[in-house]
Amino acid sequence: MWTSKASIINWIHKPATLLAAFFMTLSQPGYAHDPIFGLGPHVLYKGGVELALHSHRAKQGDDKETEFSVEAVYGITGDWLAGIELPYVQEDAAGERITGMGDAALFTKYRFWRLDTFGAQESAAVALRLKPDTGADEFTTGTTDAIVGLTYGYESIKWYRWASARYRLNDKNDQGLERGNVTLLDFVAGWRPAPPSYLNADTVWLLELNGELIAKAKRNGASLSNTGGDQWFLSPGIFWTKRNFAIKAGLQIPVSHDLNGNQDKADYRTSLSVEWHL
Amino acid sequence: MLKLNTLMITLTLLYTRSLSAQAAGTQYDIRVDGLACPFCAYGIEKKFVKTDGVKSVDINIAKGLVIVKTGADKSFTDSQLREIINDAGFTMKSYTIPGNPE
Repeated sequence: MWTSKASIINWIHKPATLLAAFFMTLSQPGYAHDPIFGLGPHVLYKGGVELALHSHRAKQGDDKETEFSVEAVYGITGDWLAGIELPYVQEDAAGERITGMGDAALFTKYRFWRLDTFGAQESAAVALRLKPDTGADEFTTGTTDAIVGLTYGYESIKWYRWASARYRLNDKNDQGLERGNVTLLDFVAGWRPAPPSYLNADTVWLLELNGELIAKAKRNGASLSNTGGDQWFLSPGIFWTKRNFAIKAGLQIPVSHDLNGNQDKADYRTSLSVEWHL
Repeated sequence: MLKLNTLMITLTLLYTRSLSAQAAGTQYDIRVDGLACPFCAYGIEKKFVKTDGVKSVDINIAKGLVIVKTGADKSFTDSQLREIINDAGFTMKSYTIPGNPE
């Protein structure tokens, strides 16, 4: 929707679509016991393959957007992974539904610090995600954007905690449109109600606080008033696993917003993922 | 003559027991730090199962224990075990072989 002139005009007059589209391209694939909306330091074992299916949905004002994606991840070492995500997007806006491929994403994560103790693991990682301009005209941003992230996590048999910061650097597209850069902050706690056993099902409950601080977009250098701002979400979630199979689900509920100009705040966002480790 | 017979029987029993132990392979009880979730521990099972000669892998998360049983012709060194556990994303603290005085 952002590559043609008509789409840009539409985008300027319909800022509600901005954050929803941001959400789709900011969605963070999960790896094992990582937060659902935030970023965690988990990686994959050396030589391991993760296949995942994700579904993200966002409602903002009258607009609804749903993204389905397929993800493949490979464990290069016990501390370093790389992967690809291919999204398919469906948008309902102004009584119309459009669908198409979204921008693919390439990502990598390196766990640079790990402290293992009896029944607990503490670690930190850096992550990089690149989103080239590969999607359908209706959904591509027309840019190659990058997200860099730093994350810390503590995982024990009973409790979890994570903190992460990510920065999204947006490029300018061919029409001179430059979406505002984004800072993402996540603070997450997790609780396992029952002691885990290797071959039995395991459940972890999560509560995330997710912040999005978005700069104003610019067109040919001029700031667009109805863009950018801050939003904070409280996000309960669940992580259910059995051996090498996992289901993750979460709901983002907006608890605070300070958006520039005339913009609809996010009503809700959901995420549902299934993962296999092979 | 009686002493000789006793000695022969004893030696035969010892030899048979030795052969039986070899056929049963070796069990490694590995203490692993960082084990907290079953989903993540799958990497340990996967790494060992892909190793030739490994018969079974059992993981006890609450005890931080990984039990690996091998065939008669397979053995691990300390560094091999550490590498496998590390590649799975964890840290080996120590290991023992039940029945081995060392």
